[in-house]
Amino acid sequence: MDSLNALLEGFATALAPQYLLYALFGVFIGTAVGVLPGIGPAMTVALLLPLTYSLDPTGALIVFAGIYYGGMYGGSTTSILLNTPGESSSIVTALEGNRMAKAGRGAAALATAAIGSFVAGTAATLALTFLAPGIAKLAVQLGPADYFALIVVAFLTVGALLGSSVPRGLVSLGLGLLLGLVGTEVLSGQQRYTFGIASLADGIDVVLIAVGLFALGETLYVASRLRHGSVRVIPVTRGWRNWMTRRDWRRSWRPWLRGTAIGFPIGTIPAGGADVATFLSYATERKLARGNARAEFGRGAIEGVAGPEAANNAAAAGVLVPLLTLGLPTTATAAIIISAFQSYGIRPGPMLFENQSGLVWALIASLYIGNVMLLVLNLPLVGMWVKVLRIPRPYLYAGILAFAGLGAYALHFNVFDTLVLLVIGLVGFLMRRYGYPVAPMVVGGILGPMAEEQLRKAMAISQGDLSYLVHSPFAIIAYSTLAVIVVLGVWLKRRKARLEATAPDPITASLPAWEEVDR
Amino acid sequence: MTDATQAPLGASAPGGAPSARAARPAIGEFAFAAVCAALGVYAIVGAGFIRVPPGSASVLGPRVFPYAVGVLLVAASVAVIVQVARGHRGVPDDGEDIDPDAPTDWLTVAKLIGCFLTQLVLIEWAGWPVAVMVLFGGAAWSLGAKRWWVALLIGLGLGLATQLVFGVWLGLSLPAGPLLEWIPIFNG
Repeated sequence: MDSLNALLEGFATALAPQYLLYALFGVFIGTAVGVLPGIGPAMTVALLLPLTYSLDPTGALIVFAGIYYGGMYGGSTTSILLNTPGESSSIVTALEGNRMAKAGRGAAALATAAIGSFVAGTAATLALTFLAPGIAKLAVQLGPADYFALIVVAFLTVGALLGSSVPRGLVSLGLGLLLGLVGTEVLSGQQRYTFGIASLADGIDVVLIAVGLFALGETLYVASRLRHGSVRVIPVTRGWRNWMTRRDWRRSWRPWLRGTAIGFPIGTIPAGGADVATFLSYATERKLARGNARAEFGRGAIEGVAGPEAANNAAAAGVLVPLLTLGLPTTATAAIIISAFQSYGIRPGPMLFENQSGLVWALIASLYIGNVMLLVLNLPLVGMWVKVLRIPRPYLYAGILAFAGLGAYALHFNVFDTLVLLVIGLVGFLMRRYGYPVAPMVVGGILGPMAEEQLRKAMAISQGDLSYLVHSPFAIIAYSTLAVIVVLGVWLKRRKARLEATAPDPITASLPAWEEVDR
Repeated sequence: MTDATQAPLGASAPGGAPSARAARPAIGEFAFAAVCAALGVYAIVGAGFIRVPPGSASVLGPRVFPYAVGVLLVAASVAVIVQVARGHRGVPDDGEDIDPDAPTDWLTVAKLIGCFLTQLVLIEWAGWPVAVMVLFGGAAWSLGAKRWWVALLIGLGLGLATQLVFGVWLGLSLPAGPLLEWIPIFNG
C-alpha cells in the first residue's frame, strides 16, 4: 500500500512536537471561533494568513486544517446551548439538540455531537486517505474542458441550491464573478474594471471578499437587528464522564455511521457543502426512527443530533478531496486555504501528491491528530466554551470589526484595501437583509478567474470550436450530473421547506434554570 | 417562513415565530436588485472598452467572459425583480444574535460604518493601536455597551496586543504611530 506508507511518514512529520503544538493551536482557535456567533472558519483562516510569512508551509497548513475542523465542532455547541438557532450548517442540529438541552439532556446532546463528529471526521479522513491519491491520478489526465465543466457544475450547484430562490443565488454568483474580473487579465495583460486605480490592477484579494462578506457584512446585519437583553445559555449539569447513558450510545452509533455515509460523498461533489448533507441526514433519521424515538422527533431526539453532526463533519472532510486533488475549492474556507497554498507558490491540484507528497501526507496525518485533540477539547472543556459563548455582544462584534480591519490592512498595508472591505461588507449586509445567499458570491469571486482561464485554454486548443467543451466523456458526465443535481436539489429544497413548515414550534416556555448574563 | 419586512407583533412573539406579511412595499428589495442589474449593464458596457491587443494569439479575447458575466447578472437581477413584483419576497438571514421581530436599525449600521471609516485616516496618522481603540470603542458603544470607557480601554488593550502579536512577533509592518514609536519594542 503506497498511500499507507506515505501516511505513516506523514504521521512521523505531524507528530513532531512543534507540529503538534501548531495543530493544538489550530483546533483551539477553530473551536473558539466555531462557538462564537458571527465569526466562521473562513474569516479566521483569512485573518491568520499572515502566519504564512513566518511558518513553513507544513506548519501553516496544519494550523489552517485545525481551524477548519475545529470550526465544525464548535458550531454544534452553540446551536445546542444557545437559546436561538445557529448557523446554516448546524441549524439542523439545533432542531433537536436545542430541545434536548431545554429538556435537561444538553449533556447527552453535546456528547453525541462531539463523539459523532469524531467518528465521522476520522472515518471521512480515512476515506480521503485512500480516495485522494487515486483521484489525483485520474485528474492528471483532465484537460481544460474538463476543468471548465467541473467549475460550471460548482457555479450552478452553489448558485442555484443555496438561498431562498434560484435567481437570488445567481445574482450573488454574478456579483462574485464581477469582483473576480477586476484587475489585470493574465493572458493579454489588459486591465479590466480598474478605473485606472493602481491598487485595483492586482485584482481584489479573495481575503477581502471573504472577510468583507462574512465578518463585516454579518456584523452590520446583526447590528441592524441585534437581540438586546441577556445572552441565554442553557446550563449543562452532570460530569462529562456519564453524559451518555448506555441507551444513548445504542441510539447514536447507527446515525453516526449513516451521517458519515451521507456527508462524505456530498462534501466531495461541488454541491453546496455541509448544508445539504446535514439536512439529508436529519430527514433520513426522522424517517428511520421507530417507536419511542419517532415520537421524540421534534421534541429532542438524540438521533436528530447524532446523524446531522456526523454528516456535517464528514462533509467537511469530503470538501478536502476536490481541494487537494483538483485544486477546486467548493466552500469559502477551502478557497482561502487555496490562497494560503498559493502564497507558498504551491498550486493544489493533481500534481500535488507527486510534487509535495511530504506536505500533503503530513497535512492528512494532522487531520487524524486534530480529531483526537478536538474530542478531548470539546468534552471535558465544554464549560470554558460556554464562557466564550457568553461574551457580551457589543464587545464581541466590536472585536470582529477590529480583526476584520486588521485582515484588510495587513494584506498590502494600504488603507485602500480597508475601503474595499467596507464596500464589500456593505454589499454583504444588504444581501443578508434582502435574502440573498452570500456563499455563491465568494465562490464566484474565487472560481471565476479559474473558469475564464480554463475556458480560454480550451478554446485556444480547439481553435474556437465550442463543441470541444463537451468532447470528452468526463465533461459529458459532469454536465449530465449537473442536470441531475439541480433537479434533485430543487426537489430537496421543496421537501426541506415542507419539513420546516410542519415542524412543531420550539418550546419557548420559560425554563427556570437559564443562566442570564448582561450583555 | 418569515418575510422581508416584519412588523413587530403586539405581544412579543417567542423565538422567531413567523409574523404576518407586512404591507409595506418592497422598495429596498427593488432598489438592490436594480443596482445589481445596473452593475450587470456596467459590466457589459465596460467590456466593450477593454482593449484587445492586436494579433492576440488566443481565440477568446479578454472581453468574452466579462460579457457573459454581465448578461448573467442582468438576467438574474431582472428575474429577482419579477419575483418580488409577484410577491415572492426575500427571506432575511437568521442567526443566533438576530432578533427576528426587530425592524432594521439603520442608525446603528450607519454608526458602525462611521466607526470603520475612521480606520482610513487613523491607521496611518495615529498608528494601529489608536485606530483599534477608536474602532472598538466606537463600535461597542454603538451596539449598546453600557460603559463607553471600558470599551475604549478594552479597545486599547486589543490594539496593543495585536500590535505585539502581528506587528512584532509575526513581523507585519503595522504602524505603531507617533505615540508609541519611541518605545523600542514597537519600533521593529
